[in-house]
Amino acid sequence: MAITILPPVADDVSYPDSDGDSMSMDSDGGVDLTTGGSRPHKRPRLVAGTDISSGVITPGEVVTDDPQWMRGHGTYTNPLSTSIIATVAGTVQKTNKLLSVQPLRARYTPEIGDLVVGRIVEVQSRRWKVDVAAPLLAQLPLSAINLPGGILRRRTSADELQIRTFFSEGDLVVAEVQTVHSDGAASLHTRSLKYGKLRNGVFLAVTGTGGSGISSSTVKGGIGAGSTTVSSGAGGVVRSRRQVWTVNTANGGGDVDVILGVNGYIWISKHATDTPAVSSTTESVSITRMEEMVSSSIYSSQNDAIPPQTRREIARLAQCIQVLVQGGVRVDEETVMGAYEASLQVDLEVGDDDYYDDDEGRGEGREYLEGSKAQRILELVLERG
Amino acid sequence: MSAQRQASSASQTPHISPAELSYLWSSLALPNNPIRPDGRSPTQFRPLSAETDILPGTNGSARVGFADGTQAIVGVKAEVEKTVAAADVSSLSQRAQEQFGENQDGEGKSSATTTGHGSWVQMSIEIPGYRDDDALPVFLSEMMREPLVESVSSGGNADGEMAGGLKGRLVINRRWHWRLYIDVLLLSQPLSYPLPLLSLTTHLALLSTKLPKLKSLGEEDPFFDDDWDAAEYLYPRSQSRLASALQLRPPVTLLVISVGENVIFDPSRDEIAVADTLLAISVARDGGSDALKVLSIRTVDPPSRLTQPGMPNAENPASLESAAVAEQAVNGEEIPGVWRPRRGGVKRNTVAKMVKLVLQKGGVGEEVLEGLEGVEVG
Repeated sequence: MAITILPPVADDVSYPDSDGDSMSMDSDGGVDLTTGGSRPHKRPRLVAGTDISSGVITPGEVVTDDPQWMRGHGTYTNPLSTSIIATVAGTVQKTNKLLSVQPLRARYTPEIGDLVVGRIVEVQSRRWKVDVAAPLLAQLPLSAINLPGGILRRRTSADELQIRTFFSEGDLVVAEVQTVHSDGAASLHTRSLKYGKLRNGVFLAVTGTGGSGISSSTVKGGIGAGSTTVSSGAGGVVRSRRQVWTVNTANGGGDVDVILGVNGYIWISKHATDTPAVSSTTESVSITRMEEMVSSSIYSSQNDAIPPQTRREIARLAQCIQVLVQGGVRVDEETVMGAYEASLQVDLEVGDDDYYDDDEGRGEGREYLEGSKAQRILELVLERG
Repeated sequence: MSAQRQASSASQTPHISPAELSYLWSSLALPNNPIRPDGRSPTQFRPLSAETDILPGTNGSARVGFADGTQAIVGVKAEVEKTVAAADVSSLSQRAQEQFGENQDGEGKSSATTTGHGSWVQMSIEIPGYRDDDALPVFLSEMMREPLVESVSSGGNADGEMAGGLKGRLVINRRWHWRLYIDVLLLSQPLSYPLPLLSLTTHLALLSTKLPKLKSLGEEDPFFDDDWDAAEYLYPRSQSRLASALQLRPPVTLLVISVGENVIFDPSRDEIAVADTLLAISVARDGGSDALKVLSIRTVDPPSRLTQPGMPNAENPASLESAAVAEQAVNGEEIPGVWRPRRGGVKRNTVAKMVKLVLQKGGVGEEVLEGLEGVEVG
């Protein structure tokens, strides 16, 4: 069947309630905060006196006008009144006397040391402007990149003139956040062999952390309920120990690199073997020259030859991540690898019978993981986790 | 650059690096078995969810959503309008009038000899971020309206009511006709070229469109049954599957790209970005027979034309190899792994292959129409 038409699914998403036991932040509230269950309100109000809405609140909504609370993230107060007003749509969290609103969905907020994948959107005279899914474009100064050959010197006007030979519009870079300015804009650097221009693979944009590591906790509860309609937008890349790793793929795919940018941008590519670049030129490369040789291809936009098996496994990894995100599961090394293995297992379960009769590329692609296979993969991943 | 992009009729070219474009293109161009980034087979569509009759104030409406979050709503509104006597319409309906006495029962026959007018169907498309007189919405609406009003069943044994196609169906009598307003609303940013989404939604909305039952006869001023339950479908539906296959249905417009030797259906935005050719093929069931027929083929300007070319290592001054292999670089020659914007036309046999895949028995066109027929109406 070429086309799948599904009946509409009513979005019946239950948002985590800050009063719920699963993620109670209300460790030591001075007030008794039990919900009056008999209230016919859409959003049950809390006990009289505190009057804090639970459930999802929207920007501009007054969270409380009780002066005993302090305002936290996602809220503001009018200097003339005591009421705390939400600035984002999300759930209220209470930490002692601090009220904050956790956004349901937010853009990435850069932090120093984050590994991000970004796309160059603008070339200026001495720097690039990079889209890192943050509210503001990040900047990558010309002085914060490695020069080809690893030469260490001052950037001259000649470098400024040929700035587009390093990165031009549309290019993808993997970089690290060096500083965060007061307005929230980030400055990046690529001064490491791990960083630089990306090639030989596919790009994938999923939701990032939204700056707060809430995704992992919210999502586990949501999925565990076993509902088939899982909330979307909750999953995403979370900050973790390892953001970059190499997968030894099955089906003869060889090694594949996965880069999970904290900002939700993901790059999956064929593992770059540095050896050919070195061996093709000279056999006797000294340790000191090694770095030069490696970094010589750092600004290349020419792909290596990539066999179809590798491409297939790259596509599979990309889909695994999509399945995780759509299922609202956090994305990190553990879950991605779990999903990848699960997808291989699902392929075995499905068997080869329906694979051979689809000649001419008819029907559902064998590699297609969404749909019925997605549910099975999610089950397997969550079993493991 | 931005002005250029605006001029391109395909939705705005995304920023994609040459390395990505090259990877995508070579994956999609793998002989016989393209690897799509989302693992679909070449003819597979993205799963979508659909419902009809969502707007109570319209004659017919539908909503379709793709899994990636793009959604469209279509509402169809019908209005009775006085026919300005055009030469062909009046002469034809005069003839119908003369025959009227002898076939009281065969209301179908009398209307079969009248033809409507294409301007009775009005379509407006609203896409966020575009003015209503921008090129994209205007082009899209014309691309969808044209096959809609031009599709006429050729078979003689077709259902009499629909013999004149949609235009004929809109004729009430000599002096009155229906005017259809089709309002298409794209709810999300156009992530990919929105034509297939809008076309499928319009198709469903038209399928669910009902017109009040006519109580007046012949040349009287139209007078309608005010019972909405008695209203009749604009496109007659019948219970049996066999008969429904023979009825006239609104056309669907499919977006097809070719990459290398491969033909790929329902391309995503990234896939469109590397397409050699981008065609919009409108098909409908031929009223008389079971077969499909092509109503129109339009080429859409593929955005790949405007993408930035990749730079081979040999020419890259930032690469150390440049000095060593500079001589090897030959102008105009394709270097594997380096993206070059696709320029030039489309081969005849590629177009033939696309059309064949759509039209053939059990082909994509048939499956799409079948799938849409399966959506519950009402």
